[in-house]
Amino acid sequence: MGGIRRRAGRAVRATRHLILSLLLVPLCVLALLQFLAALLLSVTFVGLLLLPYAARVNRGVAGLARRLASRQLDRPVTARYGPRSGVLNRARLTLNDPMTWRDAGWLALHLPAGVALPALALGLWAGLGFDLSLPFWWWAPLPEHTINVTGIAIDSWFRVITVVPIHFAAFTAVALWAIPWLATADAHLSRLILATPERVRLAERVAELTETRAAALDAHGAELRRIERDLHDGAQARLVSIAMRLGIAERMMATDPDKAAELVSEARQSTEETMTELRGIIRGMYPPILADRGLSGAVAALAAGCPVPVTTATDGVGRLPAAVEAAAYFVVAEALTNVAKHSGASSASVRLDEADGRLSIVIIDDGRGAADEIGGTGLAGIRRRATAFDGRTDLASPPGGPTTLTVELPCR
Amino acid sequence: MPVRVLIVEDNVLLAEGLALLLRTEGHEVIGTVDTAEAFLGAVDEHRPDIAVVDVRLPPTFSDEGVRAAVEVRRRHPGQPILVLSQYVERTYATELLAGGGGGIGYLLKDRVGRVSEFVDALRRVAGGGTAMDPEVISQLLVRHGRHPVDSLSPREREVLALMAEGRSNGDIATRLTVTERSVHKHVGNIFLKLGLPPSDGGHRRVLAVLSYLSQ
Repeated sequence: MGGIRRRAGRAVRATRHLILSLLLVPLCVLALLQFLAALLLSVTFVGLLLLPYAARVNRGVAGLARRLASRQLDRPVTARYGPRSGVLNRARLTLNDPMTWRDAGWLALHLPAGVALPALALGLWAGLGFDLSLPFWWWAPLPEHTINVTGIAIDSWFRVITVVPIHFAAFTAVALWAIPWLATADAHLSRLILATPERVRLAERVAELTETRAAALDAHGAELRRIERDLHDGAQARLVSIAMRLGIAERMMATDPDKAAELVSEARQSTEETMTELRGIIRGMYPPILADRGLSGAVAALAAGCPVPVTTATDGVGRLPAAVEAAAYFVVAEALTNVAKHSGASSASVRLDEADGRLSIVIIDDGRGAADEIGGTGLAGIRRRATAFDGRTDLASPPGGPTTLTVELPCR
Repeated sequence: MPVRVLIVEDNVLLAEGLALLLRTEGHEVIGTVDTAEAFLGAVDEHRPDIAVVDVRLPPTFSDEGVRAAVEVRRRHPGQPILVLSQYVERTYATELLAGGGGGIGYLLKDRVGRVSEFVDALRRVAGGGTAMDPEVISQLLVRHGRHPVDSLSPREREVLALMAEGRSNGDIATRLTVTERSVHKHVGNIFLKLGLPPSDGGHRRVLAVLSYLSQ
């Protein structure tokens, strides 16, 4: 019994899908008409300007179909549209985007399919309704008309009791199997045309990864050069000068002890400066607090060191790969520096979460907003770091605030 | 006799330290410049007894010092130059030696701390001799595959290295605590094994050895 109940439920859901699909048909007609009109008009300048908007309407209708299909198939049906920017460029990009033509093709195909598949399903339901209603009216005198069920004339109660239930049972079995099949077929048809093919998706992903890999190499190279420069010009040069001073002092010890003592004291001071510098360089490579306390502890330390009061929420994060922890640390460090320097905020919050192999970092401040990505090197630096890790950066900073910076880094 | 020194170094800390060291040792620092261009001009103008040059100079902080040194030697053959660097590369040594003639030194900056040795090297180069950092020599001695250098005995390799640094037989003898005569014998064997024409000593033999090693 449970099996039949489940099947019946599925058939009802499928029917709902097919009815909604049928309701899309008039929208398809309207969308197609306006798109064709825009296409015809695009021999003129005005038509070209209108075309992207016509395609946008198609995209809206196709979007509804995608939602239907993904609900029926229980898997995401998504499309990646190309970029649209510029006034004239927009028309060219629209024409060149395969998704424009996929949408239009689907609209055209849905005219027959969107009518036929729901019609078949509704026909099956109607057949079942017919069977159920037969006992009530088969005897009614219909002139010149005998009621037939699969070729057998229903002309006696005996036949009503025998033939009709058998027919109903058989018909139900067919309907419960066929109706979900029809809905699934409809959804598959939509997915086939409206979802960006896996091949294209993979190609885009490869292009994207190639780009982030290049960014990672650049960032890594710049980092190495910076460290080399810092060590060469800073610590190493200081050590050489210490060696020089000690060398001179050694020679002067006998002849001019006062001068020698002065040089030794200078050398000692210089070693202290060298230590400070080395600490700075090490912090810039991999902050020791990360090694000691992990990302949560390190972020707490950053928050404590920020002149603006900062609350942190980092419970959802365990230990992550060192490179990711370091990147996340620098992102938070740079973001909090920005908050302290530019935002005029009176409070800020840092939230770290890890889900589905991605670490998300959300930093919110209640400052004046209107953070300028082009002007601020901090934000550009954050974006560079995220890109190098194939991550994402989002900045929402309306004038008047609040400013929300979201950075997502893959971490598994 | 005091040596007139031109310092070419962009790091103020090091330039000052170097000047202090040289003055304390009784030499005359006739100027301190911090770019390759100023280096060329200063040599044209002052003709110093020796120029002490940092390899890395503005604007690109790569090997301007080496290139400027080669250029100075092209303009003024025999101008003594002592190149200082925080690391040594056999490639640079080869470039510096390529012009021939003495009066070339190439040392790690670390050596400056051993004041007497550094001043020794400075005098040697100013006098037309050679001073190569042991680090350069050990780089030159690293060979891939079979090489006549492999046929030298350990002692002979030590002698070869010291000789390549630009040291005299007497100096080598003191360092290895052997007699000068046995050093002389080792040198003879080395030249024989490497197939070099016998050389009397001084920087000519150093150059012969170095050019042989940097082939």
